[in-house]
Amino acid sequence: MFRSSGLLVSLAALISSPAVAEIGRIKSSIGIATVQRGTAHIPAASGQDLLPGDWLETGKDGRISLTFIDNTRFAVGPDSRIGLSTFDYNPTTERGSFVTQIERGSIAVVSGRISTSGRDAMQLRTPDSVLGIRDAQVIVEVSK
Amino acid sequence: MTFRGFVLCATFTLAGCAHSSVVLLPNANGGHGEVAILQSGGVAGETIVSDSNTRATLGGSRPSVRPLGAKGLSSSEALLVSALPPAARSFDLYFLEGTTDMIAQSLPVVEQIRAEIAKRPGAEVQVTGHTDTIGNNADNDLLSKQRAKEILNLLVDKGFARTKMSAVGRGERELKVRTADNVRSAVNRRVEVIVR
Repeated sequence: MFRSSGLLVSLAALISSPAVAEIGRIKSSIGIATVQRGTAHIPAASGQDLLPGDWLETGKDGRISLTFIDNTRFAVGPDSRIGLSTFDYNPTTERGSFVTQIERGSIAVVSGRISTSGRDAMQLRTPDSVLGIRDAQVIVEVSK
Repeated sequence: MTFRGFVLCATFTLAGCAHSSVVLLPNANGGHGEVAILQSGGVAGETIVSDSNTRATLGGSRPSVRPLGAKGLSSSEALLVSALPPAARSFDLYFLEGTTDMIAQSLPVVEQIRAEIAKRPGAEVQVTGHTDTIGNNADNDLLSKQRAKEILNLLVDKGFARTKMSAVGRGERELKVRTADNVRSAVNRRVEVIVR
């Protein structure tokens, strides 16, 4: 009895813990395109929300377009794996930090508010390099 | 991969043979920012790419930076750029003093907002209420929130899902036109709607 009420309490704590805030949304996708969240694979459908730590994955003919709450915009190309490793943003002060991991594939990026909120506050990382994006529009490709 | 190729890659990069490139493009407004190459081939440094239409090939400890030239972007790169979602658009709606009543002149703007939402797949809307500096902060926080809610409800009435929207009130913290305290200002009594 005591044990089961303890379980209830911890469940309640889980449920009432504050939800992780949405950082962006999928606008469109074609082909094989998924959002990997922990062990879950969620279809990258239009309107799907995104959380810090999500990975975007596309197949051979897959593409994903998405936007972030700081007005950053991404277009992800085929055969890509892109991690949204860090995304901290305070909409009131419009400051934050944003680190994207490009494990493979290609991406077009138009930076948003975070990139202007501090020097190299927005970074793109590939397996062999680190880029600071300073209020810029770029294409990054990682070839095998 | 040939043995020689492997040796070359192992010599020049820490991450095997994967190499990457970055292209700096002009911004929509005609200007362009910068890309700082903070690490290449596992070696820290700072190479600034500040001319638009420039490609930097990464992976070596010294990135090679060249103009795109006449060849321009590859077809796959051009396709990527064309797949970018449109930039967010922002609209201002104005209110009668001390009320949540929108002025008549703002009605056509509501229609523009509706049209903008309709043409964007997966649209999301951020509604932010503001006031002028008449009255105290607490009252203005409340009033700005009520204005934002009013507009949110108006958009719900027009068939847009509430779950795709967020509304906040910023009171008199974010004036469109800076004024002293307790100053009437029609431009500051507003709700900003950002469609993304």
